[in-house]
Amino acid sequence: MKPAPFEYHAPRTVEAALDLLESEGPDARVIAGGQSLVPMLALRLARPEALIDLNRIPELSGIRKEGSTIHIGAMTRQAHALASSLVFEQLPLLHYGLEHVGHPPTRARGTIGGSLSHADPAAETPAVMLAYQARMVLRSKQGERVIPAEEFTFGTFETALEEGEILTEIRVDARPEEGTSLVELSRRRGDFAMASAAARMSLAEDGTCASAHLIIGAVAPVPLRFDAVTDALKGRTITESLVREAVELMDLDQFEFDNVDISLAYRRKIGPVLAERALLQAFNRAEGLRK
Amino acid sequence: MTIGARIPRVEDERFLRGEGRYVADIAMPFMVEAYVLRSPYPHAHIRSIDASEALALDGVEAVITASDLPDDLPPIPCRIPTHGDLGPYLQYPLARDRVRYVGEPIALIIAKSRAVCEDAAELVEIDFDPLPPVVDPEAAIKPDAALVHEAGNLAGRWGFDLGAVDDALKNATYVVSEKFSIQRHTAMPLETRGLIASYDVGRNLLDIHGPTKVVHTNRNVLAAMLGMGEAEIRMVEPDVGGSFGARGEFYPEDYLIPFAAIRLRKPVRWIEDRIEHFAAINHSRESAFEVTACADAEGMITAFDVRLVTDMGAFIRTHGDVVPSHAAASFPGPYRVRNYRIDAMTVMTNKTPTGTYRAPGMFEANFARERALDRLAAKIGIDPAELRRRNLIPADMMPWHVGTESVKRPTIFDSGNFPHVFERALEAYGWDAPIEREADGWLRGRGICALVEPSGLGPFEGVRIEVDQHGYATIFSGSSNQGQGHETVLAQIASSILGLPVEKIRVRHGDTGIITFGGGTYASRTAVLGGNAVHSAAVGIRDKALKTASAKFDIPLEELSLREGEIWHGGKNEPVISLGGIARMLMPGNPEFLKPPSDMNMPDNDGLVVTSYIRGVPGGTSAFAVHMADVLVDPRTGDTRVENYFVACDIGRQLNPLIVEGQLIGGVAQGIGGTFLEELTYSEDGQLTTGTFADYMMPNVYNMPPVGTLVLEETKAPGNVLGVKGVGEIGPSGVPAAIGNAIADALKATSGLNILPLTPERVLAAASTVERP
Amino acid sequence: MTHHQVELTVNGSKVSMQVEPRQSLADALRSQLGLTGTHLGCEHGVCGACTIIVDGEPVRGCLMLGVQAEGAEVLTVEGVSPSEGLSPIQEALREHHGLQCGFCTPGMVMALHHLFTITPSPSEDEINEAISGQLCRCTGYQGIVSAAKAVAQKQRENRSHDTTVNGKENSCRSA
Repeated sequence: MKPAPFEYHAPRTVEAALDLLESEGPDARVIAGGQSLVPMLALRLARPEALIDLNRIPELSGIRKEGSTIHIGAMTRQAHALASSLVFEQLPLLHYGLEHVGHPPTRARGTIGGSLSHADPAAETPAVMLAYQARMVLRSKQGERVIPAEEFTFGTFETALEEGEILTEIRVDARPEEGTSLVELSRRRGDFAMASAAARMSLAEDGTCASAHLIIGAVAPVPLRFDAVTDALKGRTITESLVREAVELMDLDQFEFDNVDISLAYRRKIGPVLAERALLQAFNRAEGLRK
Repeated sequence: MTIGARIPRVEDERFLRGEGRYVADIAMPFMVEAYVLRSPYPHAHIRSIDASEALALDGVEAVITASDLPDDLPPIPCRIPTHGDLGPYLQYPLARDRVRYVGEPIALIIAKSRAVCEDAAELVEIDFDPLPPVVDPEAAIKPDAALVHEAGNLAGRWGFDLGAVDDALKNATYVVSEKFSIQRHTAMPLETRGLIASYDVGRNLLDIHGPTKVVHTNRNVLAAMLGMGEAEIRMVEPDVGGSFGARGEFYPEDYLIPFAAIRLRKPVRWIEDRIEHFAAINHSRESAFEVTACADAEGMITAFDVRLVTDMGAFIRTHGDVVPSHAAASFPGPYRVRNYRIDAMTVMTNKTPTGTYRAPGMFEANFARERALDRLAAKIGIDPAELRRRNLIPADMMPWHVGTESVKRPTIFDSGNFPHVFERALEAYGWDAPIEREADGWLRGRGICALVEPSGLGPFEGVRIEVDQHGYATIFSGSSNQGQGHETVLAQIASSILGLPVEKIRVRHGDTGIITFGGGTYASRTAVLGGNAVHSAAVGIRDKALKTASAKFDIPLEELSLREGEIWHGGKNEPVISLGGIARMLMPGNPEFLKPPSDMNMPDNDGLVVTSYIRGVPGGTSAFAVHMADVLVDPRTGDTRVENYFVACDIGRQLNPLIVEGQLIGGVAQGIGGTFLEELTYSEDGQLTTGTFADYMMPNVYNMPPVGTLVLEETKAPGNVLGVKGVGEIGPSGVPAAIGNAIADALKATSGLNILPLTPERVLAAASTVERP
Repeated sequence: MTHHQVELTVNGSKVSMQVEPRQSLADALRSQLGLTGTHLGCEHGVCGACTIIVDGEPVRGCLMLGVQAEGAEVLTVEGVSPSEGLSPIQEALREHHGLQCGFCTPGMVMALHHLFTITPSPSEDEINEAISGQLCRCTGYQGIVSAAKAVAQKQRENRSHDTTVNGKENSCRSA
């Protein structure tokens, strides 16, 4: 399990990284935290000619608030984001999502941008960013473009990143007033989910549901949004039975994954249950914020 | 320090400081590294192999294929008697013209580094002609199945037919018939295998570091395969990161690496990587049972009628068919059942060959029997514990001859008061205490499994104890150690006889250079056989020391005793001489030895050295154990949480309670892995699909419930002086049955939960069959 | 393929290693520096046997490349062991039988070392989370968790005193 040989570059700026991406061409790969890429190298499933390491580019790390927008540098470590009070207060769903990501030593290296760029369908971060309708900042020698999360991830390990382009930042609107929840079922905690449900909810003055979002992950190549469910909740007083009725509106035909040990039929059974639990927990947390 | 003391282990310090010396930590000058090129196909003819491009790569030393091996090289033999002739199914170290499983060794690549080996492996051109793979054992025994071997896919069919099963079935009041399947999974020690072989050409001496478990057996096999004298080969066990039955058997690499070292005349090191390990190490457990169990109106079990199909994989390895053999021999378990029939079939498939994994055959048989018994109890309408209580073998029927045999030895439960231990277990756990049936929408259930775990099998174990002139005792043991704690336990036994602190007792093991014969470590045998060999040798040392002192100082023998490394004169209450002093006196040629006339009465002066070989008793010994669990089940997702786990057992005598508990709890963890998580799955086209730790899931800390233990010393094993029974395999042996029964109890499920692992999907399927308000 | 000369600090000493880019940090520590206490159980980042501390954070030694360690402060099991005997964490693991074969043990020691560096008396939940990515095939974790709880308890008792659990001053405590 030794990787095939490759050259290594550790640029200090994004500009230098983009120069290298151009000069090294399509056989070069960017390495972020390496928690998915290095195993693929060891298994020789990935065999780049060169690695361009983003770990020495300070401008790519850090979380800051500007106005009502949270800017997350792509190289921000998962552990850093998980421990961030800014994230916990302003983007609680990201905090809850990261609790399910790996283990302390993998979160210490693994990055937010790396996880998004890897686009594993069972990963939590893409589902969270979809739920938050985050904007992805992509840079190349040609300049910068900003695209919404739903256009960034489009398949298993497939993203909108073009050749010569890297994800540099994620921008998310702060949502301190919301209750959120990420509920997932995995066979072993810290491993990828069989299905996951991410929910956001805010409440109106009268306690009815003002807005809600529901994303189901790990059941299809990309996380799925179920607006039909949340539309049925808006303006209504949240009760267990209401949520249970609403999750029946999920279009289960969008579920795709069918494995020997986790069948499509099973995923279709647990998807609505996890959705119900996530929505109810989000509601309870939103209620908690009002008191 | 005495036998039975709860002391921390003497070997721990080096491991905790990172100073353990495992095989990958050993290097030698001019050493080269090896890599085994393995078949990517489950079944194919090899048309040709072209290694020229690989050989041209800088740093590559050799590419060894089957054509480089001697024409008359025999296959790797079984080390255990089998049911019938399994010769046609034995494996050669390298595939010649045909591969039969993904992972079968085709070539050995030697280069200056492992990375270069792997670069070279990509350059070896092999022309394969794929054949249809045989993956499912039931399909394999159909008449039109493709053949894994020309001798046929059904390697063996045998069984037992005791009493009058048909009559019992005809007359039974209650009958259940159930099918069970146990998934392929395996030991998966955290350290992969590895070997480093070096050859001294001038003296024709071969040194091999890395073997474990049965080093003397492996040395003898290798000597035969290489045509060398046994004493020309030394195998040395380093620190070993776990075996659990799988590691340390003679595998193809155990021939190939020494062969390469001889051929290249350079030290050759092979450190298996995890991906190789998945395809190369013995797999285990894959079997299917059909069980019919019946009872009379009083709830007495009157018969078991069983069909067992075991997937052996592509070759028969060193274990032969011991796994199904043990399962078949001990299937009736701790119950007084005289009508027993089993039809056992061992089937070849195009998958990795199989062997033993901790509690081989027993894990599987206990699951099938104990789940069936819960169904039977439900049918009768009695508590599962009550059904077991009525049927346990009473103490006065011991020793109990099951009437079966395994590896040509009769299956005998030597001793035990099963009913008494059973009641103690129920009481300790609080089996009858009411449980809250529901918690936050989750359902709670309680399950039980009773079992007998045979141990101390195999012919013998050997120990030599030497005391040096400084008073240090060294135990040279023929057994091996892969983490169990033998260095502590064997020292404790010697300490209790010699009165030396364990710090002054060294234990060496797993080395063919230190003792002529060794049995090795399997079947929970080290405490039973190795421990008794230490006991016997230590008694010999003590007697020789006292006799020497008695003769030398003219003190009556009965007035002398050993205390803390000194010989004491009881009457005067003073020390006479140290143990080291005696050892010096007994050194061959020591002039002190011949001085006074009384020395004529002293024992021989061949040193304070005693060798002892302990023979195993037929059937070994057997421990009785009860497993119980409380499990919470989410009826909407099939998710489960084991809240509490408990193991009670009677092991005759504990040598070190800390280590006993560690064996039990660690064993339960492996059982939980086998119950819920671990599975070596194959696709229909014969590819191993769970070949990394990301998809072969072993339990982490979150998967473990609190595990309670009750260790009893009720009935000493009659066949050994210490009275000990093996404990190593009790832990995993009853887990899937106890947990499966608990889940069924939680769900009130009357079907399902018979297929391992108990995935959330399978649990949910069982939940769905039950009508709920 | 270019070799890289990497300068770094390992267990408090400045060292230099020559590595191929493809060599993992764990491999480099073992083969270049002879620090064989860091074990490789899977080389794909799951088992945790190779866990070491880099710049104050626990990382998988097999998922970092040696060349990425330029300028880093690395702490391995050799660096947290006192010159003789055992650190309090190591001693507790021994007392509570938190190891059998010893192969996962260095990674476990490092994960716990980090936990006690950032949290002097962690809760059971924190202990579980800290070792959740460390696989042990032998013990069933119970002895490991008991050991960590015992250390935490001792820390609570000694809170008024100035103690170091990790046996040595933490040369790489994160700022």
